[in-house]
Amino acid sequence: MTPSPLQIVLVGVIGLLGIGLYGLLVIRNLIKIVVALQILVKAAVLALVAAGYASGHVNLSQSLAATVIVADTIVAVVGIALAVQVRRRFGTLDVKALSTLKG
Amino acid sequence: MLYALLVTGTLLCAGMAIRAKRLLSAALWLAGVSALVSISLYRLGAHEVAVIELSVGAGLVTVLFVFAISLAGEEAMEARAVLPKPVAWGLMIVSAILLGWMTLPLRASEGGPVEQASFATLLWQDRGLDVLVQIVLIFAGVLGVLGLLAEARVPVEMRIVERPAVQPAPPAPARPVSPPAPQPAPREVHV
Amino acid sequence: MPPWLIGLTIGLPWLGAACVWLVGDGRRRAQHAIAVGFAVAAGLAGLALLPFVTKEVALRLPIGGVFGDLTFVPDGLGVFLAVIATVIGSLAVIFSVDYMRGEAQVGRYYALVLIFIGAMAGLVLTGSLLYLFLFWEITAFCSYALISFHNDDPKAVAGGIKALIITSLGGIGLLAGALVLRAYLGSYEISAALASARALPPTVLSLVAFGFLAAAAAKSAQVPFQTWLPDAMEAPTPVSALIHAATMVNAGVYLLARFYPAFAEAPGWRTAVIAVGALSALLAAVLALLADDIKRVLAYSTISQLGYMVYAIGLGAVFASQLHLLSHAVFKALLFLGAGSVIHSIGTRDLQLMGGLGRQMPFVRNVFVVGALALVGVPILNGFWSKELILEAALEHGPWLLFLGVLGAAVTALYTTRLVWLVFFGEPRVQRHAHDAGPAMRVSLGLLALGTLTTWLLAGLLERMLTPCLESACTLGAMVSQVSTAPSTLIALVAIVAGIAGWWWWQGRAFTRSPVLARMAASGFGFEWINKRIVASTRDAASALRALQTGQLNWNVAGIVGGLILVLAILMWSA
Repeated sequence: MTPSPLQIVLVGVIGLLGIGLYGLLVIRNLIKIVVALQILVKAAVLALVAAGYASGHVNLSQSLAATVIVADTIVAVVGIALAVQVRRRFGTLDVKALSTLKG
Repeated sequence: MLYALLVTGTLLCAGMAIRAKRLLSAALWLAGVSALVSISLYRLGAHEVAVIELSVGAGLVTVLFVFAISLAGEEAMEARAVLPKPVAWGLMIVSAILLGWMTLPLRASEGGPVEQASFATLLWQDRGLDVLVQIVLIFAGVLGVLGLLAEARVPVEMRIVERPAVQPAPPAPARPVSPPAPQPAPREVHV
Repeated sequence: MPPWLIGLTIGLPWLGAACVWLVGDGRRRAQHAIAVGFAVAAGLAGLALLPFVTKEVALRLPIGGVFGDLTFVPDGLGVFLAVIATVIGSLAVIFSVDYMRGEAQVGRYYALVLIFIGAMAGLVLTGSLLYLFLFWEITAFCSYALISFHNDDPKAVAGGIKALIITSLGGIGLLAGALVLRAYLGSYEISAALASARALPPTVLSLVAFGFLAAAAAKSAQVPFQTWLPDAMEAPTPVSALIHAATMVNAGVYLLARFYPAFAEAPGWRTAVIAVGALSALLAAVLALLADDIKRVLAYSTISQLGYMVYAIGLGAVFASQLHLLSHAVFKALLFLGAGSVIHSIGTRDLQLMGGLGRQMPFVRNVFVVGALALVGVPILNGFWSKELILEAALEHGPWLLFLGVLGAAVTALYTTRLVWLVFFGEPRVQRHAHDAGPAMRVSLGLLALGTLTTWLLAGLLERMLTPCLESACTLGAMVSQVSTAPSTLIALVAIVAGIAGWWWWQGRAFTRSPVLARMAASGFGFEWINKRIVASTRDAASALRALQTGQLNWNVAGIVGGLILVLAILMWSA
């Protein structure tokens, strides 16, 4: 039974989600964390369009995907700006050093 | 077949992006992921979004990363992760398996795309609110970045807490339009 | 009429709290005036509810979803307690004008007291168990905040935290019972619970009944949870009078009285209630005899009298317990406020440093003696009638129960006489100048003394209010004749006289000052250890949980992913 294109793409989505989440869990550099976030977003966009392909409503899923791309690009932009400011103020981008909690 | 190749390539590039030692390499691998995802989107029938994804993901975001890396600089960091590796792997594999279990049995419907309006009409008319929200978001993002990347120092009377120079003070969170709010006078009343 | 009256009774104090806070500590006189104004208005609103007593839901606010409706049912029991809360609350606030003169952060004090008054009125008027729990916890918070009002004093802070932890852990019993009832009966309404209690399986009914008993025992400082109340005496005295004598500690008794018809059949429940009540009454009376701090004596006395009320409920004499609640609220508030005048004027709480103050503070001495006589149960005063009703009910159930009650009455007489004598009579042990009570204090003290003399006359009104919701009640005339002719009255009077006379015997004995006895009293006969362990283990658990907050991004993401896995698992399970 050959997997349909939808199933292959879904495997890709799940793989990307897994890789992105793994990245969030493991990476210590703030800018690389933004990279991992971007990977997650691409997985989401792929999933949306795959759903549109599966149900036949391609254009509807495209408009939703467009909104998602815009929103997450803004997130990346603001995240990068935050990372730059953190680097300026604290001198480091290492997540482990950036915690000031005493617990 | 093409799909399998695309997906494999995407996953490879994403893996390399996460594992890259240098930030610049990570940004370039991310551009590769973007390109492959954009081709997949095109094959799935979403032509316009494929273009958007390519230009934004592989173009804009990559330029942004390069700019940020030039500003913030590379940094040597310990490789040892904060989380123990087995925990991270375990969490990821469990969530992937659960997701896979839930979604993989899905099948595409028989028959091609249903009768629908063109992408442009759908976007601007049916989902006009989305577009409005996107415009607001873009404004917010631009203002936030401008505020964040401004070189001006925070004046002394607006500092929330005076701390010795050794300890870094927490940064003020980004707000799109934030007029400097005067510090309220200390109140005696505690409720 | 009632819907907005209920809203006023609860909302006026809360509005007053907001106003007092907004006025700010710069304008103290305005703060005093606003607080008194709103408290008195709330008292009037509470009194205005009296003609509208009804068993139907008077105000219903649909909150929806899993929380059920916020209903208010102004039935007799609820309105009676709301009147006590708001009226005695206003008297305590009037007293505070003199007591808190010159103190800092008066705004915080008044705001908390007013929030408390509103929450207490809400607690007794609400018809939904979930919102009863909500008001219960609001009063617990206000109590904690007011006990630790002088938050630079570590003893006050420790006392406040202890009170908070113990009463909140008891509150878990209430919440558990409420949730179980909701699971079985489908609604939080108290009326539904009372009507269909018999339909519950016996084990479930016992679970709910004992859960409520634990919550009531913790809130009303009964054995084994009684040690928080003496430590709560670090609060400013009007707070002690209002919260820890007249209103909040009555919430536990209210809960038991309200649910008595539902739980009376739960096996072993009535016996447990009687045991808890009797043990508290006697243990606390003995501890009051050994205490050297004027407010601690009164705190133990409160525990003891609440023990009598709980004991009466266990016996089935719910009307007697509510009448005693009314009497106790009035005379205990009087005693506490009197003690407050004494403390305010001479600056110490130690009994060994007082003596002979009656000559310098005649007004306070007179009203204090009135309150003390009511506590002891001397005829004509309100304490006498209600205590005798309880003892009669005890006699109906057997001579041993009567013996316990009479023994308690004798010890009560003994420690009360000791207290009055050590403070106001005899020779001054330390030469101090003491001024009599100020005008605001006199107003409150005078009104409360008047109440002590007369509230028993309201027994008939009380009976009319309570009969629709309680099982035993009697009219004024019937009560007078019943009490005057019952044999238990005579026995009790003999015991009281013996107790009063026993003071002179006690005074000379050396064993009363032995260090062994003092150590035993300080540890509350072993109960202190239990409560210390509860508080210590709660704080240790809290410290251990701090390890979860690492502040590192990766751990936070791990938490998010963990949550995601949980959600996916639940979705898959239910699909």
